[in-house]
Order: sequence, then C-alpha cells, then structure tokens
Amino acid sequence: MTSQYIALPKGVAEQTFDAAISSFRNVLGDAAVLTSAEQLAPYIKTMMPVPDANHMPSAALLATTVEQIQKIVAICNQHKVPIWTISTGKNLGYGSAAPAERGQVVLDLKRMNRILEVDKDLAYALVEPGVTYQQLYDYINEHKLGLWLSMPAPTAIAGPVGNTLDRGVGYTPYGEHFLFACGMEVVLANGEVLRTGMGSMPNSNTWQVFKWGYGPYLDGIFTQSNYGIVTKFGFWLMPAPPAFKPFVIQYQHEEDIVEIVETIRPLRINGIIPNAVVIAHALYEAPVIARRSDYVSGPGSISDEAVRKITKDHKLGIWNVYAALYGTQEQIDVNWQIVTQAFGRSGKAKILTEQEMGDDPAFNYRAKLMRGDMTLTEFSLYNWRGGGGSMWFAPVSQARGSETLKQMALTKQILAKYGLDYSGEFIVGMRDMHHIVDVLYDKTDPEQTKAAYQCFDELLTVFSAQGYGTYRVNTAFMDKVAETYGPVQRNVHKTLKHALDPNGILAPGKSGIR
Amino acid sequence: MKIIKLGQIVFGFIFTAILAISPAWSTPEETPHPGFAWQNGAEIYAKICAYCHEAQVGPPIRNRELPPAYIRAIVRNGKRAMPAFRSSEIDDESLVKLVDFISKKETEH
Repeated sequence: MTSQYIALPKGVAEQTFDAAISSFRNVLGDAAVLTSAEQLAPYIKTMMPVPDANHMPSAALLATTVEQIQKIVAICNQHKVPIWTISTGKNLGYGSAAPAERGQVVLDLKRMNRILEVDKDLAYALVEPGVTYQQLYDYINEHKLGLWLSMPAPTAIAGPVGNTLDRGVGYTPYGEHFLFACGMEVVLANGEVLRTGMGSMPNSNTWQVFKWGYGPYLDGIFTQSNYGIVTKFGFWLMPAPPAFKPFVIQYQHEEDIVEIVETIRPLRINGIIPNAVVIAHALYEAPVIARRSDYVSGPGSISDEAVRKITKDHKLGIWNVYAALYGTQEQIDVNWQIVTQAFGRSGKAKILTEQEMGDDPAFNYRAKLMRGDMTLTEFSLYNWRGGGGSMWFAPVSQARGSETLKQMALTKQILAKYGLDYSGEFIVGMRDMHHIVDVLYDKTDPEQTKAAYQCFDELLTVFSAQGYGTYRVNTAFMDKVAETYGPVQRNVHKTLKHALDPNGILAPGKSGIR
Repeated sequence: MKIIKLGQIVFGFIFTAILAISPAWSTPEETPHPGFAWQNGAEIYAKICAYCHEAQVGPPIRNRELPPAYIRAIVRNGKRAMPAFRSSEIDDESLVKLVDFISKKETEH
C-alpha cells in the first residue's frame, strides 16, 4: 500500500503516525500541519552532498505559542514521534531547514516571531525564535533605539535565536553571540516550561541583565543540543558608537598569516580592536568581484598562479584583514595610531580605509557586517563553483600564527586532493580563531558531489587526529564530529538526554546525541 | 527606564499582568497572535529578494515578465544556490503579492 506521507519517522507505523497527525491538527488546525510533498518541498532542499531523501521530513508543524508546543510534545511522547525544531530555518551550509534524520517532524517556529521587549537603556532584547535580524533591525530603527545588532553573513533571513543556539558568530564587538546571550525560556520534553537564570524567580526583573542566576548555569546545555525547545531568548545589544572606522589590511603571501595573527592577538586581547576580526583568503573575497571561469578551465582546484592573478586584477590581498574601531573620534584616533604602528612595522601590510576603498563591493559588505547592517553579499561564494553545494568546515585554532598557517596549508592540501578550492577565513576571537572554510562544489555534478563528501570526511578525520576540533557541523556529519570529542563527553550528553527526554522525541541526532 | 514593547498596548498589559500574578516558571497562558505579517510584495522583495537579485549575487528578476508559476516554484523549491522559502516565512497570500510584484513590469505597478 502506498503511504500518504513522503516519509515516516524511524520505527513509527503509519497508523500510529496518522493518530499523531490527527492530534497535531486538533492543536494547531489543519492549515498549520503540513504533510503533502508540495508543502514540504521547501524543507527538503539542502546544500549537503547527500541525497535529499536522507533528510526528508514526514511533516511540518507551524506552532506559534508555548501552549501549543507543550501539547505537541505531549503528543510526541504518546506516539514516540520525533520532532526537529527550527527557527528561521536558514542554517545554510549546515543543514538548512531539513531534519537530521529522515522522517522526523519539523517543528517550524518561524511564525512564533514576536519581539517581546527591547530595552534601550539596558541594551537588551527578548525575542521569540522566528524573529529575523531584519525584523529586529527594522524595529530598532523605527523606534530610534540607537542599538546595533551582531549577525552572521546571512543577516536578513536568519535570526538571533537559531544562530546563537547553534553558537554562530558575527562581526561586531558582540560577535561571539553566545557570550551575549542572557536568559532563555525552554519547553522541556515533559512539557514543563523552564526560564533559565534569573527568569526562574517570580517577579524578577533581572532575567535579561544577569546571566548566571543561582546554582549550575543551564543555558549552555540548550545550545547545539536537543534537551529542550527554546521559546524565548534574551540577548544584549551594542549601543551604537559615536564613530566607526572600518579598515582592511592586505598582505600578499599566504605565509604572512603568521605575522598577521601575531600582530592582531595583542590588539584583540587588549581591546584595541574590539570586534571579531576576519582574516579572509583571496578566494573568500574573489567571488564578490570575479568569476572562477575567467581564471580556471577544466577540473581540479584553482592554481596559486591563478589566485595571484585574481588578486592583481581585483586589488585584493592574498589575505585581507577586515577590522574596525568603535567609540568616540578621540578614542578611534588613539587606537588607529596603535593599529597602524603595529601593522606598519614589517613593511608588508597595505592599510586601507573607506577613503581608499570607496565603493569596493567586497569592502562595503564587510563594513556592513562590522556595523550590523543587512547584506547577503557573502552568498556570492555560491557562484564560485555554482550548482548549490556548500558545507562549512569549521575547525577551531589557537590565535597563534604558526597554528593558523598549519591549518590553512593542511586544509588546502586536502581540498586540492579532491579538486576543490580553499575558500577560507579566520574569525578572530581573543585567544581562538574560528577557521571557516566553505567547501564549495557543484551539487548537480554527481562526481563532484561524491568528491565533496569524501573530502569533508577526510578533513574531519585528519584535523581531529591532529587535535583540531570542529565547533559546528552540518547534519550529515554530526555523529562523526561527536565521536572526535571522545566517549566520556558523549556519555555525559547521553545521560542528560535520557534524564530530560526519556522517549527521545526532541531532535534525535543533534550533535550526535540520542 | 524606557521599555519599548511591540504590538498593542493591551497585549503589553496582559503579558505584564501574567508575569506578576503567576510563577515565572509555570506555563504562561498565551493567546495565539498573528505575529509578523508582510505588508505587500514590494516589502518582501526589498527585505529578502533584493539583497541578492539587486546586488549581482543572483540574476535580475524584475522587468523580465517571468511567468508567475515559475516564480512560485523557484521560491518554494529553491534553485541551485538559491534557498527555498517556506510558507512560514512567506505565506501563500503574500507569495501571490510577491509574484505579482516580480512578474509585472515596473511601469505596471
């Protein structure tokens, strides 16, 4: 007999699933329970090199209230039906809106999108999961609140809840997003509603201003996890500075990254440069202004010679360090002197500001990201190979020049083995770097898709063998990354999972946790 | 302290009252609400599509008289690097307005 569903949850009979769907419809109404192939099509498309069928949902539920979510988890517990929660569903290159495992029901919270509070004086926001950065950006501007957002490159269509819960980063001084999270409301698998930190105390007005509360700090266990469904999320916003000075420093040799990192580290740790600096390789910036087909023909990765030609033709560095100064003009003037002196010492750096860069599209989109403005220009990366294939390889590195050079060389070597290009950047924390590489491939080409899968697998294997951990990964490789962190951590994760979600209904497989 | 709340003042009072009279850790009673709603096709185009299609990231799509069914299909299914957009992001009614906005020439608006 042909199923009326495009997929079923693992181990759930169709009759049981029918009963669950019927109950979901009672709670949400027919229009908010999606089961047809046409309705579910937008949930299926991913950029990963695996068949879309592997991540095909059985249904999607469009919930808008905490009460509805409580009822949904009760139904899931009754029928042992797993749900995969998304907020804006734009975790592109990490799995998009598709579930980790075939047949999981997507709990889509995009329509749960109220901005509950923005406090101008204390500079914080409390929002629901479906709020996008664009929505919040417009709200702040409309009310003239004088606050800046920090956001990842997919700005307008992504949102603070999903990005922060997946421990994403941005480019302003508030770029390490989870550091600036303050208070969550979480629906647990048993239907109870937990407010973390000070939110647990009746009548407290400090939920969004003091992170720690009393006793063990719980917020962390609801990030990159499947222990609850976050329905409200507080975070801090940056007061708009009186002055802002973005700049780029170009270097012309890959080995120069040693000097770059050694120069930046003290400036970051001492707070001279306050934002999440980016050290972008030429091939991360080139897609904004150049086409690959103008420099390469045939299979294989791009040659170093072609990359050098791109940098000359389009006035790029092999490394392009994007950073900014924030504060009063007087503060900026003092810090600018320190920055230019530090980078000027070796004579290798070319320091450029808005004055010299003018309308350069690569500089402009970076400047927008560093002041929390809307842009999707980074999606130019997807035109480099074409075909819609992308996975973010994201190992963590020490902020030490020798380490970054080693990671870059290793990544480039493995990518080249599979005919892929190194489109990488380092996002500088204070003592760490997120080494972010977009593994771009043509998903319409079966051979390249297969190569991309093998390449990504090898990157994870080789990096973990050398002690380099990955901070975030797409849904096709979560188990593999979880393995690299060893059995004790996996057991602790599992123990927590079984205690909080004994029926395993919440996003089984997230971060390898079941 | 200035606290800005979105939505009707009535909602603000109800929400505050709930927090005041019920334990914060218990289930808050909430009324389903309409949430964010798109005003028209031009707004959706400006706040989603234009960031790529007016910025040389994606191809131009306006003033090309693209067939409405084609636009609908691409929005819902995505194409190559273009992501798919769900009905939770652009509801069916708003998609009709967006398709109308894109498919008609600027002079027809």
